[in-house]
Amino acid sequence: MQDNIFNALADLALNASGQSVLPSKAYLIEARLAGIARREGFGSLDDLIHCLKSRQNPVLRAEVAAALLSRDTWFFRETAVLDGLVGTALPERLAASPSGHLRIWCAGGSTGQEAYSLSMLLEDETLPGLSGAKIEILSTDICKQATEKARRGTFGHYEVQRGLSIQRLLKHFTRLDSGDWQASEALRARISLHAHNLLEPADGLGKFDIIVCRNVLSGMARSARTRVVETLANQLAPGGLVMLADGETLYGLTDRLEPAGGLRGSWVAAGTANAKASAA
Amino acid sequence: MKTCLIVDDSRVVRKVASRIVRDLGFSVSEASDGGEALKMCRVSMPDAVILDWNMPVMNGIDFVKALRREDGGKTPRVVFCSIENDAEHIRQALSSGADEFIMKPFDADILESKFAEVGLI
Repeated sequence: MQDNIFNALADLALNASGQSVLPSKAYLIEARLAGIARREGFGSLDDLIHCLKSRQNPVLRAEVAAALLSRDTWFFRETAVLDGLVGTALPERLAASPSGHLRIWCAGGSTGQEAYSLSMLLEDETLPGLSGAKIEILSTDICKQATEKARRGTFGHYEVQRGLSIQRLLKHFTRLDSGDWQASEALRARISLHAHNLLEPADGLGKFDIIVCRNVLSGMARSARTRVVETLANQLAPGGLVMLADGETLYGLTDRLEPAGGLRGSWVAAGTANAKASAA
Repeated sequence: MKTCLIVDDSRVVRKVASRIVRDLGFSVSEASDGGEALKMCRVSMPDAVILDWNMPVMNGIDFVKALRREDGGKTPRVVFCSIENDAEHIRQALSSGADEFIMKPFDADILESKFAEVGLI
């Protein structure tokens, strides 16, 4: 890929989603965009980029921007984090919630594997601390196609075999004639899906008890990370928790959140972690 | 070093699976049918078995049933690996004694994920 094309695409990704595109991924990007260029009748990637620069085409621009994102995800990714969320964080939040209604936001949830993993854990685990709770999961992603796929709850041959035990597959999914597997109605009923760009405000989504934002910030430029963390802090309900992936941190990005302690990768509103530990 | 026995009548499948399993740190042996595999298990029980369904001499279902009756035969983690991938076949494999099931075709990510599921890695 020529430098000028790569640079144009890197700028597009940065502006559209805040993602940093590494030169080492150029071959992947080329492969992902080739199909779009062919379908739209462009002779080359160069022509596609030229069109995006010269003409207003927000739909095509959004599709190209989405194609530049890493979509790699799987069921029960970093299981320990999810177990901690369901086994510890949710019961604690429920004890502090008079309504018994908890909201989880999977921010940057791609094609939904994270949300469905949480839904499966909530179905499978009979935790006394969660009995009677109404737990709602919202998964959002910048990519409309990914969001639509997540809404269908239908996963392919390779997807259902990454992170998902065969027992869980049989229990929670039905094999369709196409060979794909569809999540049960019970799993889907707990999950709602919205297309949302994390660079945009999220006021319309409401407040959340738990915000799971894993393996999203690490791919972003620093300026975008700061902006996204601000959005996450804005949407966190009082006493709520932001959960990151292993190795991710908010140090240097915000003064509004601090490590929760106890649950690895979890962050709470600044000034509340010690109070929580004392109360415990 | 943990050991893995790959049982499949396709030489290509055995070769592909062997490469992946070796990369996961296993010592690998191969058999082309259930009968040959059972003889090998009687000499030395492996830690893991990757098992095809349809094979000459002895198929995968008969093998896993026979294996589980052997002395020490409950120890190996048996991962079925088959194109028979509808829910009924999968249930039959599990009820016959398999621990996990891979639907062919597979890749390194899938095999690694399934080995992790049954505690092999």
